[in-house]
Amino acid sequence: MEGSNLLLPGYLSVGLFMFIVGVVGVIVRRNPIVIFMCIELMLNAVNLTFLTFARFRPSPALHDVADPQIYMSGQMMVVFVMAVAAAEVAVGLGIIMAIFRLRQNVDVDEMNLLRG
Amino acid sequence: MDLPWTLIWAVLALPLVGSIIQAVMGGRITRNGTDEAGKRLMGFLAVFFVAVPFVIAALLTLRLTNLSPADYPEPLEAFDWIALKSMRIPFELVIDPLSMTMTLIITGIGALIHLYATGYMAKEKDYARFFTYLNLFIAMMLILVLGNNLLMMFIGWEGVGLCSYLLIGFWYKDVANAKAANKAFIVNRIGDWGFCLGMFTLVAFLMANAGQAGIPADLRWFSYDVFLPNCVVLLQQNPGVATAIAIFFFIGAMGKSAQFPLYFWLPDAMAGPTPVSALIHAATMVTAGVFMLNRLHVLFELSPVAMAIVAGIGAFTALFAALIAFGQTDIKKVLAYSTVSQLGFMFIACGVGAFWVGIFHVITHAFFKALLFLGSGAVIASMNHEQDMRRYGNLGKYIKVTAFTMVIGWLAISGLPPLSGFFSKEAILGGALGNQVAVIGDVPVGVIAGWIALAVALLTAGYMTRLTFLTFFGTKEQWRLLPAHEDHHEAHHAEDNSHDHAVHGDHGEDVHGFFFSDKEMATRHAEHEHHHDLTPDHTPKEVYPSMWIPLVVLAVLSVAGGILLNNNHLLQHWLYPHGLTLIPHEAVDGHPKGWVGQYLLLMGIGAGVLGMVWGYFVYRNGLPKDEKDEDSWKPWRRSANAQFGYDSTIMDAGVTGGGMLANLAWWFDSKIVDGLVNGIAGFTGGLGRLFKASQSGYARSYALMMLFGGLAIVLYFVYVANSLGGKV
Amino acid sequence: MNTEMMFFGALAGMAMISAIGVVAFRDAIRSALCLVVNFFTLAFLYFTLNAELLGITQIVVYTGAIMVLFLFVIMLLKVSGPGSLQEKPEIKWFLGGLCGLGLFGAIASQIMFPFLKSENAPPVEGWGSPMNIGKALFTQYAWPFEMASILLLIGIVGSILLAKRRI
Repeated sequence: MEGSNLLLPGYLSVGLFMFIVGVVGVIVRRNPIVIFMCIELMLNAVNLTFLTFARFRPSPALHDVADPQIYMSGQMMVVFVMAVAAAEVAVGLGIIMAIFRLRQNVDVDEMNLLRG
Repeated sequence: MDLPWTLIWAVLALPLVGSIIQAVMGGRITRNGTDEAGKRLMGFLAVFFVAVPFVIAALLTLRLTNLSPADYPEPLEAFDWIALKSMRIPFELVIDPLSMTMTLIITGIGALIHLYATGYMAKEKDYARFFTYLNLFIAMMLILVLGNNLLMMFIGWEGVGLCSYLLIGFWYKDVANAKAANKAFIVNRIGDWGFCLGMFTLVAFLMANAGQAGIPADLRWFSYDVFLPNCVVLLQQNPGVATAIAIFFFIGAMGKSAQFPLYFWLPDAMAGPTPVSALIHAATMVTAGVFMLNRLHVLFELSPVAMAIVAGIGAFTALFAALIAFGQTDIKKVLAYSTVSQLGFMFIACGVGAFWVGIFHVITHAFFKALLFLGSGAVIASMNHEQDMRRYGNLGKYIKVTAFTMVIGWLAISGLPPLSGFFSKEAILGGALGNQVAVIGDVPVGVIAGWIALAVALLTAGYMTRLTFLTFFGTKEQWRLLPAHEDHHEAHHAEDNSHDHAVHGDHGEDVHGFFFSDKEMATRHAEHEHHHDLTPDHTPKEVYPSMWIPLVVLAVLSVAGGILLNNNHLLQHWLYPHGLTLIPHEAVDGHPKGWVGQYLLLMGIGAGVLGMVWGYFVYRNGLPKDEKDEDSWKPWRRSANAQFGYDSTIMDAGVTGGGMLANLAWWFDSKIVDGLVNGIAGFTGGLGRLFKASQSGYARSYALMMLFGGLAIVLYFVYVANSLGGKV
Repeated sequence: MNTEMMFFGALAGMAMISAIGVVAFRDAIRSALCLVVNFFTLAFLYFTLNAELLGITQIVVYTGAIMVLFLFVIMLLKVSGPGSLQEKPEIKWFLGGLCGLGLFGAIASQIMFPFLKSENAPPVEGWGSPMNIGKALFTQYAWPFEMASILLLIGIVGSILLAKRRI
């Protein structure tokens, strides 16, 4: 049982690590597309954490109920995060395109005007 | 025929309408003072809009005389001027003997002086502007006397002050006039300060203690018919407050009526045109203080100390100004100091409780002093605007009407029976010497004031005799002795007190820096436009009829006014009682006990005659040698000429001290107040500069900051979780 | 150490390395490829967590759709390749790394130890199956599901509006 006890912290630390890498990437990189990727990284890290808890800690009071329908909330969250992430990527990349067309440059540090 | 009381509004409105007409159309109709017919029209209108109110007021007064005091009309309200939750100040007029008497003086004398001014100002370019101010003055003065509450009196009080300022500075291109106007205005502000304090203290006190006297049903706290009865109830228990309020109001009266500490603006006010001096600075405006004391007599009667102070200040002013008058060579200045002195008489009368005598003297003084001023104006006009009496002499030969009427004025002011001045002066002396009211401790201030008044009566006769003989009699025609081309700059606007002399003498230095720089002063002097040379071959001519007709009317009034008003105590019973006198009539009946009462009449007449006899012997041959030029003057005359140093001292103290005070305030403001404000701004700016670096506009820097924040929050949670024992 | 742990360890290592690769490579194309690897690994991690449908969805949506979109944009903007966008070392690298480490340490210190000794729930039969997810999605979560569909619609319209030169 020792191994199974290590699983939960392991999954959580992978999620945490990916999240931190995403955060640091947003700060470190100047390429907006890479920044975007880092954001996706963070979203996925959160998804992983959601699933981990949904799997190992579904609902402490109901451990012995066999119906899977009452443990669905974690997976539902992941579904919606994915949907939102998809929409976000579509719009975000559209914005990057629009900015590039306007300025022929995609350095985040030069996008410091609050107008087009 | 009974006129409706509401016509009083017409009395008030007509001069105002006249003023507006003069202001709006005057310039066009007179073609900026070049069109004689236009001037005549505007002159007629100016007189018309004052004369008609006089007729209306006279008819209303006639109706009022037939009523008993109980039937006097209620105050006439027009509209609510200020309406608060706990207080209401309507625009309201009162019709009672006091206000109607003053209205008659203002419109009556006013109409005569307007008529005179149409002649006196005939050559003036700014004809319409002059009458705009003059009509406005009448309107303001009427608001002052007719208003039924303290605030309306204050409107008038400030309004006449403004008109006085405008008219003193009428020839504003001459810097001396502008300075005199400023001086009058500023000194009057000190009085207004007292007026305001009195008003506020009074109403605050009444409202704070409304529980005892009862809140007036219509909340008109400031109205005379409301607060005066309340005062009787409340202030009798608080003599300290009563004294304070009375003295505050008296400070107001001091400013307006030129009493001792604040008198020194009035002589300078003679810089204005002579009709103005006659109307505003002799007959009407300066008597506003006496009117106010009469209106608020209850307040003063509640405080013997205040009464004594009024009487004492009045007596001192009368004496002081009479002495100064001997040192003056400018005919208008002599009359100005005489006015100050006579105002002192009025305050003696008020101070000893004989308020009606104060008004009596206001009336008779309005007659003879207006006459003297207008006469002096006629003399000045006939002498090419020369005002120095030392250049007159034997003028009676040339200007007979003026001389005759002015002689009547001289006799009236000297108190010779049966002229008007005699009656009012006797009443004052009797009231003062016989009173038991104005007493501080054991000192009978009122009685002392009476004896001083007797001495001043002598002095008055003396300096007026000097004026009359120097001007109209004597053997030499002094102006014939003038060198052919002498510069009379100084003489014209004769600035007789020493510091002004210095200013005027070197034509370029504004010692007190009122408002002009040195350079501006020089240019102003270059523009000096009312300059006429009096040459040795000048022949004085009698003035226009429009100028001497008022003189004759005023002369008749000066002769007969006293008898008519004093006959059967007419004026006394007319003015008093009106309801609220606290001082019993016996206390001020004007009949002192003992030998003083027996010889009072004799002493009064004797003082006047003695003064005249002295004057006759000194001046019967015209100008004495030792008065000819200032170098040969005796020291006492020299110091009298300089107002015993009072004016220059107070001006220096006021201006230098004020400058120091202003510098101190400036330092405080610029260093400490501004420092505080700028310090706050600088501190904020510094913070802004500090944090500006963080607002770089780089999205990633913001992300980094978010990370900082997130880290801080997480660390806080870690800390909390640990402090809870490590349990999540 | 059992096989489950070893399997997890391998997948976790791959996920972490590829995540670092996303940030570390200078070239955007390489970052994108690392991200593909990362997403794949994540999909397998989902499988190990018994979430079969989500694992498949992860592959389809992320590695299939989103990553293709990324690659298209990189291609269109020509931001890949040498000299396109120079990343210079700056103070932010240090600060960001430091803060990241701090955050990692702070959170890890809290999540590691409490869960070490707790007992995991047993797997529930059919938890990650398409049937159960679909049932939940169309019954209990029908309302959020519709909201998400509207959001996606808006996203589509918005991206068209932004990307097209003339509409």
